[in-house]
Amino acid sequence: MSLEIESMVRYAAPINPAVFPHLTLLLLGIGIFFTAWFFVYEVTSTKASRDLFKELLLSLVAALFSGFGILFLLLWVGIFV
Amino acid sequence: MKPAMAKLEFCVFFLLYLAINSNSANVDNIASELKFKNVDRTIDVTSQLVKIVSKITLENTGKSPVKNFLLAVEASAKNNLAYIGAKDSNSKDLRILETTVKGYDYVKFWRVELKEALDAGTSLYVVTEAVFTKALLPFPTAITQQEVQLVKYIGNLYAYTPYYVTSQKTVVNIKTKTVEAFTKVKPFSQQEGSIIYGPYPNTGPFTEKELSVHYKNNSPFLTVTRLERLIEVSHWGNIAIEEVVEVEHTGAKLKGPFSRYDYQQDHHSGPASVRSYKTLLPASASDVYYRDTNGNISTSNMKVKKDSVEVELRPRYPLFGGWRTHYTLGYNVPSYEYLFHSGNDYLLKMRVIDHIFDDMQVDEVVTKVILPEGSVVSKLLIPYPVTRLPDSLHFTYLDTKGRPVIKFVKNNVVENHIQDFQIRYTFPRLLMFQEPLLVVGFLFALFLLVIIYVRLDFSIHKPEHHHKD
Repeated sequence: MSLEIESMVRYAAPINPAVFPHLTLLLLGIGIFFTAWFFVYEVTSTKASRDLFKELLLSLVAALFSGFGILFLLLWVGIFV
Repeated sequence: MKPAMAKLEFCVFFLLYLAINSNSANVDNIASELKFKNVDRTIDVTSQLVKIVSKITLENTGKSPVKNFLLAVEASAKNNLAYIGAKDSNSKDLRILETTVKGYDYVKFWRVELKEALDAGTSLYVVTEAVFTKALLPFPTAITQQEVQLVKYIGNLYAYTPYYVTSQKTVVNIKTKTVEAFTKVKPFSQQEGSIIYGPYPNTGPFTEKELSVHYKNNSPFLTVTRLERLIEVSHWGNIAIEEVVEVEHTGAKLKGPFSRYDYQQDHHSGPASVRSYKTLLPASASDVYYRDTNGNISTSNMKVKKDSVEVELRPRYPLFGGWRTHYTLGYNVPSYEYLFHSGNDYLLKMRVIDHIFDDMQVDEVVTKVILPEGSVVSKLLIPYPVTRLPDSLHFTYLDTKGRPVIKFVKNNVVENHIQDFQIRYTFPRLLMFQEPLLVVGFLFALFLLVIIYVRLDFSIHKPEHHHKD
C-alpha cells in the first residue's frame, strides 16, 4: 500500500547545511557593504548631485544580498523557515 | 478554487481510508470445522503491560479449505486492549481486520486472513500477540515510600477463542518469587519467576475461568497521559520534531510523607518510584533539548549509539504513585532520512509515535505535521485507524498565508504502534524563493522610504541664498 516510494528519490537540502555559515558571512558582508555605501551616498549627495538610478541600483543590490544573507543566518542558527 | 478542490479530494481519500480500515460492518461466522489443536500461551506481566503471546496450532477438521480464522477478546478485557496482531510460522505479519459475529455482541472479534488457504485435514502454526494496558491493578492501592508495589492480574485461565481447543498450556511470567496468592487449578506448577498452568485437555469455545495472580511488580508504572508530537518539515533540509509529554505514575499511590533524606540515603528506598528512564531517538537526531516551563532540565544524559540516540531523562523529582510531570523533548533530523520526492511530488514517511520509554503506555497521542507553506496534501496513509482532526494553519517566521497542518489523534497506544505514516503532497519548488524574496522586498521598501525621505523638504523658511554647486 505504499505510494510508489520506489520511484522517488531522497530529498536532500538544495544547499548543503554545512555551508550556511559561510554563505551567511559572505552574503551579509556584501549586503552590509552596499547598505553602507547607499546611506553614505544618501547623506553626502545634494539635491543637484543626486542620481535616482544610482540610488535604486545601490539599494536593490544591498537588499538582495542582505535579504539572502538574513535567510541563511536564520537557517544557520536553526530557524528552519 | 484549487485548494478547496484538493481538500475535497483529500476528504474523499480519507473517507475511503476509513472505510477500508474500520470495517465495523463486517459480519463473520464461526467455522465449526476449525479447531485449535494446541495453544501455548505466555502471559507476560513483568512490566506495566499485559502481553499475551499465543502459539496456536490451527487444524482444519472439515472438508473444505479455510481462508481465515477468528480471534476473540473477552468482554471484561476488550476495553484494555491496545494492540492485537498475528504472525505466521515465518514471523510474517498476517492481515487482521476487526469484525463481529451475530449473537456475540459483547465479544470483540478479529478476522485473521491466512496467506494460503488451510486445506482439509491439515494444520498450521500461527502466533498471535495481544497487548493490554491498565490491566494490572495495584493492590493495595496506596503504599508508603519504603513499601514494594504489589499488583493483581486478573485474566482468563483458558485461551478465549470461538473454537474447540484440544490442549492448552499457559505460562504466566512474573519475574519474581514474591507471590501473595494465585489461582490454583490442577495441573499447575510454580517456578522461579513464572507460574505454569496446564496442559488442560478439551476446552469448549468461549470458556472463561478467572485466573488471578497477586505478586510483586516494581517495574515503572508510568503512563503518558497525553503526548503531542509536532513534526515540522522544512525544504531547506531539516525536519524538526518536538514532543510535549505529560507523564503520570499510575501504580500504587504514595501514602504518607515523602522523605527526600531517606530517598537519597538509602538506594533501596522508594522501590516503586521512577528516578529516570531512557528515550530512544533516531540515529540521525541532533540538537536535542529537554525542558519544561521552568527552562532547561539539566539532569539528562545523551549517548550516541550505532543505530539510535539514547537520552536518559531524569525528571526534576522522582515520580511516586499519583505524581505527574510535564516536559518538552525536541530534536532535528535531516530531511533525506524521511522525505522523498520526484519532481514536485513529495512523500513524507515518519513514525506516528516514537519510543518514550520501554513498555510505555500512552493514553492519547496527537500527531501534528506542519508542511511547508504552499504545499497541497493529496494522500495520507496511516497503518492503523486514527481520528483525523480538521486541518489548520500554522504561522511562524516568514509566513504569509500559513503552513498547512495535518492532525490526527490515537488513543491507547503502546510500543507496537511505532509504525510509519505516509503523507503525499505537492510543493512547487519555486515557492522556496518566497521567503528570501520577502526579506529582500521588505529591505528594498525601507531603502525606497529613505530615497523618498531625502527628497522631502521640512524646513520652515526658505534659505535666502541658494547653494552654488
